[in-house]
Amino acid sequence: MTTTKIDIALNLLNQQLNQPLTAALEVCARCGICAEACHYYVAEPKVEHIPAARAESLRKVYRSEHDLLSRLFPSWTGAERLTEEKLAEWADIAFNKCTLCYRCTINCPMGLDTPLLMTSLRAIATATGNAPEVLEMLADAAIEKGKDPEIYLGFYKESIKDMEVELQELTGNPDASIPLQKQGAKKLYVALAGAHTILPVAAIFETVGEDWTLSIFEAANYGIFLGDASRAKAIARRIVDEAKSLGVEEIVISECGHAYYVMRWVAPNWFGDEFTFRVRSIVEVLAEYVQDGKLKLDPSANSEPITYHDSCNLGRKGGILAEPRVVLQAVTNDFRELTPNREEAYCCGGGAGLVALPEAYDLRMMAGKPKADQVKRSGAQVVVAACENCRLQLGDLSGYYGLGIGVTALTDLVVKAMRLPGNQKTVEHIMTLETANSGEHDNAEVWGSTDLVSLPSTKGDRSEPKSNV
Amino acid sequence: MSFSLLSQILVFLALIFTVFAFGRKLKIYAQLARPVDRAKPKGDLQKGVLYAYTLGMAPWSKESTRLHALAYLRGVAFHVGIFLGLAILVASPWLGEMPQYVRNILGFVIAAGALLGLLGFVARFLEHNLKALSNADDYFAVLIVGLFLAAEALWLFFPAARVLFYLVSAAMLVYAPLGKIRHCIYFAYSRLFYGRFIGSRAVLPHSQQNAR
Repeated sequence: MTTTKIDIALNLLNQQLNQPLTAALEVCARCGICAEACHYYVAEPKVEHIPAARAESLRKVYRSEHDLLSRLFPSWTGAERLTEEKLAEWADIAFNKCTLCYRCTINCPMGLDTPLLMTSLRAIATATGNAPEVLEMLADAAIEKGKDPEIYLGFYKESIKDMEVELQELTGNPDASIPLQKQGAKKLYVALAGAHTILPVAAIFETVGEDWTLSIFEAANYGIFLGDASRAKAIARRIVDEAKSLGVEEIVISECGHAYYVMRWVAPNWFGDEFTFRVRSIVEVLAEYVQDGKLKLDPSANSEPITYHDSCNLGRKGGILAEPRVVLQAVTNDFRELTPNREEAYCCGGGAGLVALPEAYDLRMMAGKPKADQVKRSGAQVVVAACENCRLQLGDLSGYYGLGIGVTALTDLVVKAMRLPGNQKTVEHIMTLETANSGEHDNAEVWGSTDLVSLPSTKGDRSEPKSNV
Repeated sequence: MSFSLLSQILVFLALIFTVFAFGRKLKIYAQLARPVDRAKPKGDLQKGVLYAYTLGMAPWSKESTRLHALAYLRGVAFHVGIFLGLAILVASPWLGEMPQYVRNILGFVIAAGALLGLLGFVARFLEHNLKALSNADDYFAVLIVGLFLAAEALWLFFPAARVLFYLVSAAMLVYAPLGKIRHCIYFAYSRLFYGRFIGSRAVLPHSQQNAR
């Protein structure tokens, strides 16, 4: 059994050895300059938290398999044979000790892609049965639902109808609607589970007169967390097929870092010519509206000191760095930057699926300390994050470190600044739901509910989601 | 056959071995798949690559090199010394007639490189993180390259040290493709992939970060 797992792992490693991965395995000079680039190391300055040390675990095995000197004199280069214990260590490193934030790469004099190595380890861990069960379960559930969405569609449409009533109250427009499966719409908006990612965007789209339709699928993609391309592709496939069948011009992804990353930067490589539409984050669309003067915004509506947390997937790995700031400058008079920010921003500590692992709570509270310290230093009372994952983590950090901050999405601030007729009641309710996740709780439950057909209404409590999985 | 001639033959053979071994490694590397990014760029890929090879390597361009400016500059100067040292080694058969004052100038530069390399060697022993990360190969690589530069500087100051210089050079050249020194051939690729990543996604350089 042990031999089989090791064979699987080594075969998979060999299959993955392309130019970028080989360069990442070979180029490290072990200068250690990457140490402070990692939020784990900043929180706890231990050797094991240095990105180079983490990657060395894989390199040792790579050398024992592919390097002449290491085969002859393994102790000279520190080469090690792969064992089952090492496989378990790889899984721990890849899933618990690295959030794939890319900050070490930005800071490496070689430009070494350690997240690529960690993704490779995740793939190996998944293939050998060492991946976190929660992530596998969530990925498989999403794939299963995608096979026959008709089963859930009726209930989903009912939930949307309820939400339309709230939209009409919010916008003061009795004809306001949330279009579903609208053929030929320009934009296909792919939300996360929960009305809080649909209602504010629907209000914005309604106000600017956007030609849009709501996806029947959720944006989250747990396959990418597993490093499992086949699962991730199957999950993305649902949205690609929907976009193709509706003939939309673009897919707009909700405020979700990894969902944007997958659809914008990874999926085009899976689907090639099928990608006849462009993919943008809702943050980019909002910035466009602001710059085009399509939204009338009152910055005094958001009077508390506000700061912005750059999600790694959107910012450092996606280049969405200027857009959120364009929007924030328009919706508040008291915007304060965290230091450092943009491509140098610290990860919140809950990325790459960590926030969905109940057993990782203490770990991510530790890893999120640099972020908590940044927020405290900024003096902000509200932290905006354009990523659901980050918002969950920031809410937990606030509770854990007693930050006393509100955590909100960018779209919520925009809606508030729009001063819509039903603003006072509805938007404050949405923001209450956004911040309801503060404190210790089971985020896997929140993530597990990420199924549009089990949408909790804004009238319900998002901290107690219902799932029909 | 004199020691001098023998050492020249030895270093020549070592050089051929190194070129062949690196060439083979690069040939194998070139045969590996290079994934084509089919995602439509948000920024300018070429700007990213240019940045990765130029300003992106400036000590002020990233937090890590700002925090470790001295160590980084030590490393950069050491590597500049290595490349100059290799060029001098290759040109050495034709440098015999060079005026001594030119040899002295080059000698000081190379000696500085050697000193910085040996300082790096000592740092690996003394700094907690570096020591924990290092294996025997790491120590030996920096030591052999430092000794190569030291021997070259000695030869530049004292031409009679030619045999020693060539023997140390031959040892360094033979070891280069086998041990950690070979990271040099992957450096350009790693920076290229990094540059493509940050360029196509408009992460860096900062001039690309535009909401439009």
